[in-house]
Amino acid sequence: MLAELGFIATFLAFLAALYAAGMAFYGVRRRDDRLLLSARNAALATFPLMSVSLGALLIALVTQQYQIAYVWNVTDPNTPTFFRITALWGAQAGSLLFWSGIMSAFAFGTIALNWHGQRRLMPYVITYIMLTLAFFLGLSLFLENPFERYWIMPDNSVVKSVFALSGAVPPAAARLAETSHGLNPLLRHFGMIVHPPLLYMGFVGFIIPFAFAMAALASGDLSTGWIKATRRWTLLAWVSLSLGLVLGGRWAYDVLGWGGWWGWDPVENAAFLPWLLGTAFLHSVMIQEKRGMLKVWNMFLMLGTFSAVIFGTFATRSGLVDSVHSFARSGIGFPLFFFWFSVTAVSVGMLLWRWRRGELRDDRRFNGLLSRESLFVLNNIVFVMLFIAIFWGSFGAPIVSELFLGTNITLGKDYFLQVTPPLFLALFILMGVAPLSAWGVTSLLRLGKALIVPALLAAAMVALLALMQPAEPLVLLIYGVIALSGTVALWETYRGAAARHKTLGENWATAVTALVARNRRRYGGYLIHLSIAIVGIGALGSELYQQETQRTLAVGQSLALGGYTMRYDGFLGGQIADDGRVMDIAQVTVIRDGREIAHLRPRRDFYPNAEGMNTMTIPAAHSTAENDFYVLLVDWEAISASSATFKVFINPLINLIWWGSLLLVFGTLVGMYPDEKHALATAVAAQPSRLAGVKA
Amino acid sequence: MTHLHATEQDVLTEAAVVAEPTPAKHGANFIVFLVGGILVVLAVIFGLGLRHQQQTQPTEGFAPLFTLQTLSGEAISLESLRGQVVVINFWASWCGPCRSEAAELEAAWQRYKDQGVVFLGIAYTDTERNAQAYLQEFGITYPNGLDYQTKISAQYRITGVPETFIIDREGHINEFVMVPLNQGQISAMIERALTKGQNQP
Amino acid sequence: MKTLVKVTLVLVLIVMAFAAVTLSVSAQDDPRRPVSDDEVNAVSKKLYCPVCENITLDTCGTLACAQWRDEVRILLSEGNTPEQVIENFVVRFGDRVVGTPVDPLLRAIALITPWVFSAAVLVGVAVVFFRWRSEGTHTAPMAAKRSTEKTPNATHSLEDYRARLESDLAARR
Repeated sequence: MLAELGFIATFLAFLAALYAAGMAFYGVRRRDDRLLLSARNAALATFPLMSVSLGALLIALVTQQYQIAYVWNVTDPNTPTFFRITALWGAQAGSLLFWSGIMSAFAFGTIALNWHGQRRLMPYVITYIMLTLAFFLGLSLFLENPFERYWIMPDNSVVKSVFALSGAVPPAAARLAETSHGLNPLLRHFGMIVHPPLLYMGFVGFIIPFAFAMAALASGDLSTGWIKATRRWTLLAWVSLSLGLVLGGRWAYDVLGWGGWWGWDPVENAAFLPWLLGTAFLHSVMIQEKRGMLKVWNMFLMLGTFSAVIFGTFATRSGLVDSVHSFARSGIGFPLFFFWFSVTAVSVGMLLWRWRRGELRDDRRFNGLLSRESLFVLNNIVFVMLFIAIFWGSFGAPIVSELFLGTNITLGKDYFLQVTPPLFLALFILMGVAPLSAWGVTSLLRLGKALIVPALLAAAMVALLALMQPAEPLVLLIYGVIALSGTVALWETYRGAAARHKTLGENWATAVTALVARNRRRYGGYLIHLSIAIVGIGALGSELYQQETQRTLAVGQSLALGGYTMRYDGFLGGQIADDGRVMDIAQVTVIRDGREIAHLRPRRDFYPNAEGMNTMTIPAAHSTAENDFYVLLVDWEAISASSATFKVFINPLINLIWWGSLLLVFGTLVGMYPDEKHALATAVAAQPSRLAGVKA
Repeated sequence: MTHLHATEQDVLTEAAVVAEPTPAKHGANFIVFLVGGILVVLAVIFGLGLRHQQQTQPTEGFAPLFTLQTLSGEAISLESLRGQVVVINFWASWCGPCRSEAAELEAAWQRYKDQGVVFLGIAYTDTERNAQAYLQEFGITYPNGLDYQTKISAQYRITGVPETFIIDREGHINEFVMVPLNQGQISAMIERALTKGQNQP
Repeated sequence: MKTLVKVTLVLVLIVMAFAAVTLSVSAQDDPRRPVSDDEVNAVSKKLYCPVCENITLDTCGTLACAQWRDEVRILLSEGNTPEQVIENFVVRFGDRVVGTPVDPLLRAIALITPWVFSAAVLVGVAVVFFRWRSEGTHTAPMAAKRSTEKTPNATHSLEDYRARLESDLAARR
């Protein structure tokens, strides 16, 4: 029942998406409003249909319908309800359906909010979103169907089919429950509830600005309308992706047990690549909005961002690269590849076409080498160079080498830490200087003067860091550059507030809120800069000054590392948890300055039912502002456990990464918060006449 | 007729105004070709890359040729074994299922070694020390060697160990299995390869 | 290049075979120095085993990797430097076991290519920029004038700062 319901709803959503795409395009060509309305309604309908479809799969997961192959694959009778829910995106078929569901929600949102304001663009927007949705739904329906059920045929063979087959009987429920797999142990973490949905929201969310960009190209309305209409959508996608990336790091830190949070794995990089282009885009659109420049470039960045999103999806879901994170290989590789290529070729082709017709000419020229716009251009160049370096390292070099040189190579952390640091440093320098420069032209003298106070503040922060963790002069200088990008943001905000305080006589609190309210976008942006500086310092500190040691301790023995002492107290072997996993737990005490500050329980979990990787080394950590004391249980003496081997890390400043990313979310919310008159649909107020565009 | 009409025309006129003062840029064709070229190169690389990744173990056709450096110091090339049936077994000392078939393989080797059948054991990502110890443990006497630089495994596109290929007398892959085998299965496979050679002289 | 690899391979093989024989003989009286876990991990951190894609040897939990770590320990205990151990692994298992290839050609391709592409981007940007400048001298002086008007002289008082801020904000609307 659930399987049929879900499948039919998905199929109807597929038809509705195809209909909407075709009708919207036909309608706008024929200039027939009734057709457009019909297309819009069909596009809107995909969301409730997808809700039904996802709801059916969710109910099947929660109520343990193991006859459905997907349910059988990702859950077992021991799985707690929490992970039954998250199992919705726990494997390829479900997560693809979930992806489509998010896309239909975004489509619904943009139609609801932007339909009236962007009448010219909306038909094309619907066409592009619905074509993409139809493609992904097609994958779900024809290649990765999560609603397929097991049937036993009269000749005793087992087949998979959504609908009941004549003569076939469902397998015995008890047998199915007994043989079911359970969720991949890697995915049994609290982060599972937020990380994949956020990452998918980040990926899928970029379809809105992309569709608007394509609509602008298709309709010929190449004003900044598409940028203004989608600014908040872009920010929403961007912040989801940012947070998704950081939470992914946190997850790795908590579960994978290698003491780090970013492994430069191709799959991680695949999610980082669209972020780089998207961030470049968020900066360079400001130049187009204010100065009417870089129109082609902005268009290109947005098309590139979405192309990178689809490429990332293709790379992670096709088995193009081998990685611990990637999905099992499946038949969707080539369809995704062709989709990626078509999206890229069509969008770039349209951009070139409009450009050659001369319709994307800039209103102004660059006139000073040292101006905010040229610094923004520089920022964009660095982002693109980072993109190239990371893309090449993750996908270029390994594939080229294997195909054309016949040698398998790995480009790991080693490579990325050789190539990317200068580029990241350049970004931080630009983050420090650009906010102080003026549009048009600026002078070195003025820039220098404006930098004095932030530089002093940054120096103070560096001194503080040096006290906590002695470091080489070069490292301190780099800390300083990163800190400067944050202090500039703070100082600029302070100066703005001080100006109000003094000239308008407002008290400080009012001055700050009024200032921010006056330009949420700018001060939200400054908060984001500050948060990125914090994350940067945390990343640098934890990378450069991580200490580790591995020792085998008898019960009662201790090891010392970086001012901490850790004593092995005892062992709890073979503890069985509710979900059926077997836990072997070591008990250790962390001592600092003669005081016992924490009792930690690093452990090893064993999942008897899981396929493939079935043991997980779960670290335990004691966190302080200064650093994390992070312990892994590596091994222990069989049976007696009278001695055990521990790997201990000290990760300095790593918590700055998590705190910084919280600030980043806050900063983005400030930047996104709608102005009173300008809701998400910016143009509603500006173009009231178009509200009533439809004749009955 | 509708409001939409007007807006469409606005667009057209707007576009016309912008487009008017623009002469065709020199070098525009160059850029179009450059961008097109980059796209094609990317598509070719990733298309081929994906195809390469999705290739599976060969089950027919000529067996890829290789030269195995055995642990006892010989070099055996597959080409030199033409005319004999070759059993190629990929294994590793760290592989649990391999252990269950090791003695079976040796027994089969003892039975067929004088009947024009050659066994080659190829250890995947293994070390000399562990491989030697494993061979001693199971008393394996047929030639075994490490797959240096994982070149042979790459040629045969193995996805794990154990995997076994049977090569017929003409050097074609006759059968491929990716499960641990027992003596009966191995014998049956060898027999099939042997008889095939006789039917088509 | 290829012959060099082969020669080293053969050499290493001979040494290995020899070592294996001597080892099995004299396993009891162990002349080797003890090697700490930290030393093993320091080398393992730089190695990748083909069984665990993109995970360094020190954190990979498979039996294959555990055996490789033992091999690292043995090689270190035999007096090899960490560099020699890594070299040894590369010769035996190929360039895929290190984070950046050791083979000079592969290494150059891996490390230089991104900079070549980046340089191409920079050249492209420079060409566009200079073309704009030369065009700009006769087509877009108006915009330039407007922006110079807008930029006040370099002063530092809060009053001026606020004025500049307001003009910035106003330009946005």
